[in-house]
Amino acid sequence: MSRDSSRASSESIVTRVIHRPYVWAIVALLLLLVINLGKDPAYLGISVNAATGNLSGNVIDILRASAPIMMIAVGMTLVIATRGIDLSVGSVMAVSGAVSMEFMSTAGGGTVGEALSAAALALAISAALGAVNGVLVSVVGLQPFITTLITMLAGRGLAKVITAGQNTSASNESFRWIANGTVFGFPVVFVIAGIVVAIVAVLVRRTALGLMIESIGINPRAARMAGIRPVGILIAVYVVGGVLAGIAGIFSTASVMTVEVAKTGMAAEMDAILAVVIGGTSLAGGKFSLTGSVIGALLIATLDKTIVFLSIPSSATPAFKAAVIVIICLLQSQRIRALFARRRSGPSSLTPPPRSPAQPRKESVSA
Amino acid sequence: MSKSTKFRSIAGLALAGAVAISLAACAGGSESTDAGAVAGGELVTVGFVAVGPEGGWRTANEQNIQDSFSKDNGFELKYAPATNGDQNSQITAFTSFIDEGVDVILLSATEATGWESVLERAKEAEIPVVLLDRGIEPNDTELYTSRIAPDNVGISASAAEWANGQFPDGANYVVLEGPPGLSVVNDRNKGWDETIDANFTKLESQSANWSTEEAKSVFETILKANNNNVQLVFAQNDEMGLGVALAVEEAGLTPGTDVKIITIDGTKAALEALAAGRLSFVAEYNPLFGDTAIQIVKDALAGNSVESEIVVPSVTFDSPEAAAEALPTRKF
Repeated sequence: MSRDSSRASSESIVTRVIHRPYVWAIVALLLLLVINLGKDPAYLGISVNAATGNLSGNVIDILRASAPIMMIAVGMTLVIATRGIDLSVGSVMAVSGAVSMEFMSTAGGGTVGEALSAAALALAISAALGAVNGVLVSVVGLQPFITTLITMLAGRGLAKVITAGQNTSASNESFRWIANGTVFGFPVVFVIAGIVVAIVAVLVRRTALGLMIESIGINPRAARMAGIRPVGILIAVYVVGGVLAGIAGIFSTASVMTVEVAKTGMAAEMDAILAVVIGGTSLAGGKFSLTGSVIGALLIATLDKTIVFLSIPSSATPAFKAAVIVIICLLQSQRIRALFARRRSGPSSLTPPPRSPAQPRKESVSA
Repeated sequence: MSKSTKFRSIAGLALAGAVAISLAACAGGSESTDAGAVAGGELVTVGFVAVGPEGGWRTANEQNIQDSFSKDNGFELKYAPATNGDQNSQITAFTSFIDEGVDVILLSATEATGWESVLERAKEAEIPVVLLDRGIEPNDTELYTSRIAPDNVGISASAAEWANGQFPDGANYVVLEGPPGLSVVNDRNKGWDETIDANFTKLESQSANWSTEEAKSVFETILKANNNNVQLVFAQNDEMGLGVALAVEEAGLTPGTDVKIITIDGTKAALEALAAGRLSFVAEYNPLFGDTAIQIVKDALAGNSVESEIVVPSVTFDSPEAAAEALPTRKF
């Protein structure tokens, strides 16, 4: 570790960034923006909307759309780092949205207090669902995949029970402000998402928590031998994942002030997993990169917006999205990169790739 | 040795006992159901292979069917919603209804294709099948008795006619569709495209998966891509239309004056928005056809000939006043 960091400090920042696994995600992000600029040279322009007084522009839309994905991607990163997976994030989003909408439509006062209570209640239930995942995985020892698959199915059922199967709307200006308002011109959702990511980053990188999570992911047995108690950490990680999914649920329902029980958070787990993978965290667990996942979330939001901006027909959308993601993953793959490196440096270095892909990457990771 | 034979005989006895008890339980069970059927007398058993929770429209439709086929009307309805919209679970439910020997099967298929073999089996078992709302592909009318549904092509054609009247000089418009490939989406596109005047420009046709949230996100980008130069939106369901209205408001424009929004379905939420002037035209896709379904089922059981295609009449709402008038009695 110390050798790594001393070597890293002698390299320039540029070289360091280039060796990060998420550099290709940044390249892809810039490329998408350039393509959009090609269609409309004013794509990146931000203007003040005369009617509403808010900043408006495509970049602002992207930031706003990326906030919920960012939340679930950060939660997913921590869970994946422990060798787990959380398939229930989309359903937890639906539950959180259902709870808050049902609460506010029943209360009906539209006050700030009600908005706060609704959010608190939604986050508490999301945390409880996360705790169920955590206990089943750590104490009972069930497979994370199966456990969270169960919560995924049960969660959407729960959302349907809460709203009696109906799409439920509520009106509350304070709650709506969360998704649609601005602070100093910036979308509130993005500001909140940034603060939450910063808090999580400080928690895992300024304390030993991050190292403990990584050690459980790299070798749970060795971690236990070294005196790390996995039960508490696993429960904490799944609870954090649940709460973050709850925040994402509040973001996406507040945007339209309606919870659509069959659609809110649908396939969100896929976006979260993709963001994590694009960000360079291995699904095998261990070392993780929060920065990478945040960039991954931004990339997915940009991709979604680009598809509409370029008027790609709806039937071709999934294929386009898949193609972009496959290309990024290929570029990140160590084996493919080694192949290119070998070809470039000629036959003299016909050595096997320095690290096998299964091994955790060596980059020193900072949030 | 003797110990083991003793154990074996005890185990054998226990096993025999268990079998006897379970057999008795089985017999008891079947007796009681037989008795129930006899006590019910003339009740017609109806198996309803349904879609399950999907949105306001579907809930209203399935509730209406369940209310109509009540015991008071002489029916015993068995309701089998699909699990998470999965066609497999529908086929399983359909087959078990055939095995149970129900008198009639009602089917709202989640997918249009893949029904030939089970419909063939129902035909062999001489169980009439009535399709509700959703059709099947290929549409072989030999395989089912009748299909009762509102006319998607006609409804979207009536929406296009209204647009033609509103914009005699044409307009730039956007279509927000449901998921690609659904027969509903194809029919609604067909009716619209056939009827809309040639001086209209279709800027874009995107899917927002029937969702308010997605429609809002998609339409805010479409507005930016076209510098707000959109006068008309054809949203193929109410939820997406409401999402478009939100995106229009966010962009600082006024829905109804700057951008006119057309939606299909006619749920309460959409009529409320129409009454408030946020939507401009709502075409109803009438979910309440339980009485028609009862009539068809009775005719089919009596051996009368029935039309293979029955269109449920639907109305349209083109003004806030019309919406306000219909709201108090709106059931869905």
